[in-house]
Amino acid sequence: MVRQDLRALLLLIAGFTVWSLAFVVLYGLQAIGCAYGWPNHRWLLIGAYVASLIPLAWLAMGKPVREGEPTTTLSIAAVWANRAALGAGILVFLPVTFVSACI
Amino acid sequence: MSDTPISPIRLHKELERIWMTPPGIGRLSSVNHTVLGKRFMVVALTFFAIGGFLSMLIRAQLATPNSAFIGPEIYNQIFTMHGTVMMFLFAIPMFEGFVIYMLPKMLGARDMAFPRLTAYGFWCYLFGGTILIVAMLLGAAPDSGWFMYTPLSSKPYTPGINADVWLLGITFVEISAVTAAIEIFVSILKMRAPGMSLARMPLMAWYMLVTSGMMIVGFPPLILGSILLELERAFDLPFFDPTRGGDPLLWQHLFWLFGHPEVYIIFLPAAGALSTIIPVFAQRQILGYRAIIAAIVAMGFLSFGLWVHHMFTVGIPHLALAFFSSASALVAIPTAVQIFAWLGTLASGKPKWDVPMLYVFGFFFVFVIGGLTGVMLAMVPFNTQVHDTHFVVAHLHYVLVGGFVFPMLAGIYHWLPHISGRQSLYKLSIPAFWLIFIGFNLTFFLMHLTGLMGMPRRISTYPSNWGWDWLNLLSSFGSFILTMGFCLVLADLVLQFRFGRYFRRDPWQAQTLEWATPTPPPSYNFAAIPRIDERADGLEPAKIGPLLAGGYGYLGFTRNGDQETMGVDMLTGAPEHVIILPRRTYLPLWTALATASFFLAMLFGLYWLAPFGALLTLILFLIWPANIGQTEDEGLIDIGMGEAAPLDVECPNNVAVLANRCALVMNATLFSSLLFGGLFLLVVAPNWEGLVPIDWPVWLSGLAWILSASAAGASWLARQRNLSGQNAGGFLLAAALGHVAALVMLIVLLTAVPNPTDHARQAVMFALLSFSAIHCGLAALLAGHGFWRLTQGYVSARRQTELVLAWLWNGYAAATMIPALGLATLLAWAGGT
Ligand code: HEM
Ligand SMILES: [Cu+2]
Repeated sequence: MVRQDLRALLLLIAGFTVWSLAFVVLYGLQAIGCAYGWPNHRWLLIGAYVASLIPLAWLAMGKPVREGEPTTTLSIAAVWANRAALGAGILVFLPVTFVSACI
Repeated sequence: MSDTPISPIRLHKELERIWMTPPGIGRLSSVNHTVLGKRFMVVALTFFAIGGFLSMLIRAQLATPNSAFIGPEIYNQIFTMHGTVMMFLFAIPMFEGFVIYMLPKMLGARDMAFPRLTAYGFWCYLFGGTILIVAMLLGAAPDSGWFMYTPLSSKPYTPGINADVWLLGITFVEISAVTAAIEIFVSILKMRAPGMSLARMPLMAWYMLVTSGMMIVGFPPLILGSILLELERAFDLPFFDPTRGGDPLLWQHLFWLFGHPEVYIIFLPAAGALSTIIPVFAQRQILGYRAIIAAIVAMGFLSFGLWVHHMFTVGIPHLALAFFSSASALVAIPTAVQIFAWLGTLASGKPKWDVPMLYVFGFFFVFVIGGLTGVMLAMVPFNTQVHDTHFVVAHLHYVLVGGFVFPMLAGIYHWLPHISGRQSLYKLSIPAFWLIFIGFNLTFFLMHLTGLMGMPRRISTYPSNWGWDWLNLLSSFGSFILTMGFCLVLADLVLQFRFGRYFRRDPWQAQTLEWATPTPPPSYNFAAIPRIDERADGLEPAKIGPLLAGGYGYLGFTRNGDQETMGVDMLTGAPEHVIILPRRTYLPLWTALATASFFLAMLFGLYWLAPFGALLTLILFLIWPANIGQTEDEGLIDIGMGEAAPLDVECPNNVAVLANRCALVMNATLFSSLLFGGLFLLVVAPNWEGLVPIDWPVWLSGLAWILSASAAGASWLARQRNLSGQNAGGFLLAAALGHVAALVMLIVLLTAVPNPTDHARQAVMFALLSFSAIHCGLAALLAGHGFWRLTQGYVSARRQTELVLAWLWNGYAAATMIPALGLATLLAWAGGT
């Protein structure tokens, strides 16, 4: 019971924590790449975009509870939050794939 | 104890004797959350009146073109003070006060986790706010706008004391936000009625859990920014001066990194109040409890990814624009989830109309409009068009007044009976609402139009041939209607206190625990703490209340004259330990006065005096724990209901440890902001070409770190030894000495930085090294403190709090020193090939 609750609580913030980290990394890559005029800057950004979506998708698709455990309020809220995080990741980071990066 | 049941009246008298605040001068020693919550709210409402008065001056000035009522210098001070007072001295403290008053009652606790810290925060708030107001009365108020952009707020352009008043006064006030954030977070997690698991908490607690978490990571960037700007103004360290490698944009980033989450920090508590009030009047439980939890978590995080939308016009790459634009539009979705949950609750319930519901209606109307203009502003082309016009003023007031003031008024009408013990008379309430509602929309709707017609914000006057005249006059007219509405509300409240009808428990048939206390509430809230077996927004307070008053529940007795309340397991709410809270004392007041002496010395440029103020504050803080704690292991003690639990000092997960963890997270955010600032300047700031590498003693940095790491290791060993029952004193002393030695190394390193006023590179190095030096000092102090407590007999294998704290802070000092010294070295080498 306690372990399941703890996992649900962590899952509740996991998706958006990943989202925040990806945000920082992408914004950082954009700024540093521009400052130092990296070649292949765009591909790096696209790579980071895709890489950030993998854990987000994994969290959003994952089963909320283990075999034999009841679904709880927290576990359901966690699934929703993680799906929202995936959606937010896809939408907010999408511009890195095509918008002009340094001007 | 509870062997022979005693009468409710006697129980009340005994508890009251322990928890009460004495009359007369003794009031100043109060640490009680009911008393302090009320004080916070009264002071915040006073600042609301001051801010409102200033807005009347603004509208009077703008009513007619070419107005000669106030000149531009004074106008600058007035709108800056209006914004500053409303945001920092009204909105934040108002909800803090509300939460401090209400949360323990909703969760079934007798007080907040750190009563003396509440009091200290209150005094800091009061003194800091007073500094600002006094400065205004003397004509030296800040005048660079509420977000204090550099270079306008830098020394060359604001040579007077004005900007220092803001930087120091607001930082002083922010102490109260910092302490409140940690306290609220910890209290929600650890201090609830037994049985109230996380998933049974009323939504208000979820809202505040997220809000306080946001405050823990949201305030540090502002505090850091203020410190850096004050360092620039006072000692000429050029963090924001582009001619010397600084960058004004760094200030904008730091400010809005705080500033945007800040508006959600203000909105979420109000939304929590709405989520509590609406079900009461819809006469059903809230719809979508789980969706709302997911939505507030989403909002909490998303709101940190929006800050650059305040900087759309400073010339940043399209990619960054697109990034922040889509995030800004997206945040409307979790907001909408909540709005639909509230509407759905009303639609599927049996709504009864009463005054609080009028304001809920006002909230929906006004806030939705503000949200829509918000999405408009998130679109970059539109934003560029109306940037810095009155359209923005209209938007921000629709959001802030709709999202905070209307819910606050709903809350006042809903909960004032709890404070006063009387019900409203309603003669004035309804006309007051309509005056406010109509006045507000008249004032601010028209500003959308003047904004679209190009009227800039922050101008003290305008010529008459631009077609803005009538709109401005009407808007000013509206603002006077609005003010009349507020005056009626005030009169209404006074009347309620004097003539309102008394009632027995729970006049609204609400279903949350705060209504189970007697009204007005006694100092100890509950004579016994209930056991909660269902979701705590579906209770029957009128039934529970009398049972609790009779002592049926946990801790329904007095013991050794201690202030006892329950500590629970964070997740399940199972009873875990008994918390003994510290009693009333003047220490918080003295400590806040010492802190004030530091800020005043800085303000008046008495820089030699400031360190003494800081030292005095520190010494007073060190006195706080004296006589608190236990010199013997007590083991399990009776908590009523046939159960037993240990005391907080014997519980490894107690509130002190959790609070220090939070403080470290907060501190780490500040530190990360500093690292971000250093990297930002290194990468993008102008005038970094042609720097010459500094001759940097890397070996000395290494030595400092080795000393610090050994000290951290010693503090860890001390803890392990103590756990296994051995004496830890030697290792604690070693930790303290190790960190003192590291501190000395860092001071030597500081002297190796060539003149920090020459270039931002050196200034950042100076800041990084100072950060580490201060934390070595703190680590040594905490190790020393642990040693002192050990010799006093407060520490044992079971009572290990002091040793955990020593290890946390010593480990933290060593861990942060790696990036601090690393970045400093990188900066020292900048300019080499
Ligand atoms: C009570 C009715 C209020 C009125 C009539 C009012 C009026 C105004 C006006 C006219 C301005 C623009 C001044 C200018 O740009 O020249 C302004 C600015 C501002 N107001 Fe209000 N206001 C009111 C309430 C509030 C509240 C409740 C808040 C926040 C909780 C608030 C926060 C601000 C802020 C942050 C600014 C920006 C200040 C700056 O530009 O530095 N106001 N207000
Ligand atoms: Cu914003």
